[in-house]
Amino acid sequence: MNPRAVTGVGVVSALGVGREAFFAALHAGLRATQNARVESFDASKYDSPRLAEVRDFDAAQYLGARGMRTLDRLSKLLVVAARQCLHDAGLKTAGAWAPPAVGDSAWAARVGLVVSNAYGSLEAITELDRVALLEDRRYINPSRFPLTVSNTAAGYASIWEDLRALNVSVSDGNCGGLDAVACADMLLGSARADVLLVGGAEAMSEPLFVAFRRLGADFGPCEADASSASGCLGEGAALVAIETPEVARARGAPVLAEILGYGTSFAPPPHSGSLLHAAPEALAQAIGDALLDADLPASKVDLVVSGMSGMRAFDRAELAGIEAVLGPRPPIVAPKLALGETLGAGGAMGIAAALAYLRDGACSYAVRGAVRGPVRTAVVTAMGYYGNASALVMRAASG
Amino acid sequence: MVERVFVTGVGVVSSLGLGKAAFFRSLEAGTSGISSVSAFDAVPLGRVRAGEVKGFNAGDHLTRAEQRRLGRCSAMALAAARMALTDAGLEVPDVAGPRTAVVLGTTMGEACILADLDREWILGGAEGIGRAPVSRYGSTLLSIHIARAVGARGMVLTLPAACAAGNYALSFSADLIRTERADVVITGAAELLQELQFSGFVRLAAMAPDKCQPFDLNRQGLLLGEGAGLLVLESGAHARARDAQPLAEIGSYGISCDAYHITRPHPDAAGSIAAMRGAIARSGLRAEDVDFINAHGTGTKHNDAAESKVVREVFGDRRVPISSMKSMLGHCMGAASALEAIGCVFTVQTGIYPPTIGYETLDPECDLNVVANVAHRGKSDVVINNSLAFGGYNAVTVFAKPGVLPPPAMGNPGARA
Repeated sequence: MNPRAVTGVGVVSALGVGREAFFAALHAGLRATQNARVESFDASKYDSPRLAEVRDFDAAQYLGARGMRTLDRLSKLLVVAARQCLHDAGLKTAGAWAPPAVGDSAWAARVGLVVSNAYGSLEAITELDRVALLEDRRYINPSRFPLTVSNTAAGYASIWEDLRALNVSVSDGNCGGLDAVACADMLLGSARADVLLVGGAEAMSEPLFVAFRRLGADFGPCEADASSASGCLGEGAALVAIETPEVARARGAPVLAEILGYGTSFAPPPHSGSLLHAAPEALAQAIGDALLDADLPASKVDLVVSGMSGMRAFDRAELAGIEAVLGPRPPIVAPKLALGETLGAGGAMGIAAALAYLRDGACSYAVRGAVRGPVRTAVVTAMGYYGNASALVMRAASG
Repeated sequence: MVERVFVTGVGVVSSLGLGKAAFFRSLEAGTSGISSVSAFDAVPLGRVRAGEVKGFNAGDHLTRAEQRRLGRCSAMALAAARMALTDAGLEVPDVAGPRTAVVLGTTMGEACILADLDREWILGGAEGIGRAPVSRYGSTLLSIHIARAVGARGMVLTLPAACAAGNYALSFSADLIRTERADVVITGAAELLQELQFSGFVRLAAMAPDKCQPFDLNRQGLLLGEGAGLLVLESGAHARARDAQPLAEIGSYGISCDAYHITRPHPDAAGSIAAMRGAIARSGLRAEDVDFINAHGTGTKHNDAAESKVVREVFGDRRVPISSMKSMLGHCMGAASALEAIGCVFTVQTGIYPPTIGYETLDPECDLNVVANVAHRGKSDVVINNSLAFGGYNAVTVFAKPGVLPPPAMGNPGARA
């Protein structure tokens, strides 16, 4: 890929809403408040579920009270992240588009959205299934029906924020947030937009919680550091604004960091009966390809922002994949231990976290080594549950 | 130099038959794939017609282990992928490895697995649900299953872009080849007919009672359908190296977002116009080069009126032949534009424009050159595939006879869409 400038962040997470709140929490090594009251659904019948939710999330605080009823939790998380990202990138001020600085057409036609999500429509489908099963199919609420389509949240984000260049949804489990960047890179490369908001979103819901519990997903401490906090399922939305360095320069946008390379791979499980699979060789291939894409040797990597979440088999495979390419040297951090496993948003949370490490150096959540001094180059990794894996190379803004 | 991208094989699971030959025969004959729904009891909903796939038996196409792992949506996709590889003259060892990617579109993915899980959970409690089916839900799996079956080790991605998903998958796959991230991409889309989705369209008052009649004055709405349309895309170099005979070349594409309403198209249709113009200009063509339009044509009042406006705006007084395969297949949601892309390949190959069946009365709002009821023959150097989806997602792709398109460019060829 060509170098892409990151010029803004929008993040709605268990560690805070907004860039500076999020960065400050990463510095302080805050833990998301687990075991508190679950907000996204009535959890009274479950035995103290541990979830990393966005606490006290009130979308109306950011978006106003109008139109909130048509949005589900996922749409709200994503629209708030999009609005913040546009403002952080200087594309909007007080809700209005900035005057065009490049060319003469308005920003709305030149800004698009590429967003990853894994289980978006689960909540709405389950809500309507409940009506269909307990009452009658003929009573399902037609105004809720659009929410059963998983790209609806992205559709609402484009409507709320007036993003007309394009709108792409991707789904690749935990890797989708990084794959969205590869997709956006190609779309920028063919000049289909000047700026793209890229990332992912996932909302907590009862069916999501029940599904992971039924799978026996056992979140514990990170495999690389037995003394770390235990991970858990989480939610949130993270978007970064990316553009070519030329566009960023032309519109005078400060560059937070650059994205230089991407790699992805899939390796199937060895047994025909299995479906879930942690594939270190897929991650090793993805990291190797991302470094080749960035034209950087492994020795230049200062930090790995991993996707380790406290799921033992997957953490172990991730560590093996990282070590196969980068050896035992670079420190590894695991911000998901605080943010929760946010699935379709996971890769995007990794990118947002990497921005903090690249800007400020020493931050928390190290599970191997310690982050000392400035971080120039970071690799962000993601492991899927089916043998898929992706990696991204990011570099601190020069000067 | 940017690589050209060719379609070298197609595979179909549809209400018009399994496989390319049966599908092509039906498109030429103007056969209806619409029948009474058998997957669930639709009678109380007051609507019973759909393009249901009745002749598909997963066991004919999948191994026993695959049948255990895959839901019906993935099973249709994998069956179609195998047909597409065979059609391309490729075997698994030819495509296995890191230079092959799998990119699929869908709207609801394994909707039936989720419906069963919800039934167990809602009626029987959280402990009643099966563990194995939980891991079989998730739209990511569509591409994972196919990658596994064919040994692809490159990108695996699912693009949930509602009714434009097929065109999104095709466009993104072509870009993967143009940017040299892959040599071969197995792409397309798959969708199921499912009870909740069916009920939802009835509740939206969007479903016709009997026939889907795109562009007709008396059209009464859409009918749903299901199926899988898969295509093998190859770089020019990869196809040449093995002396493959391309079926069609894929040109560029146009995409845009209405940012207007979650289910209705924008009344001034600016986004759709930009997508169609962009697809044509970015392929190095002019509007007068387009010989045939494979329409989105859902049969709803809003969609067909908006699409007609777009076509008149882009083509002016030139009455380009246009037709909607949804009159035969119903609206296969995510799979629609993939099956229609295969319809475009059919037209490029044969010079036959598939008909819009059930077309009776001209609607002044849709005053287009509709290929009514009977297939026509005509020039087919360049055909375009429209999808104007739910959520304001617009995507238009271009198919051409090999040798017609100018060399592709990745940068900005002066058009923005």
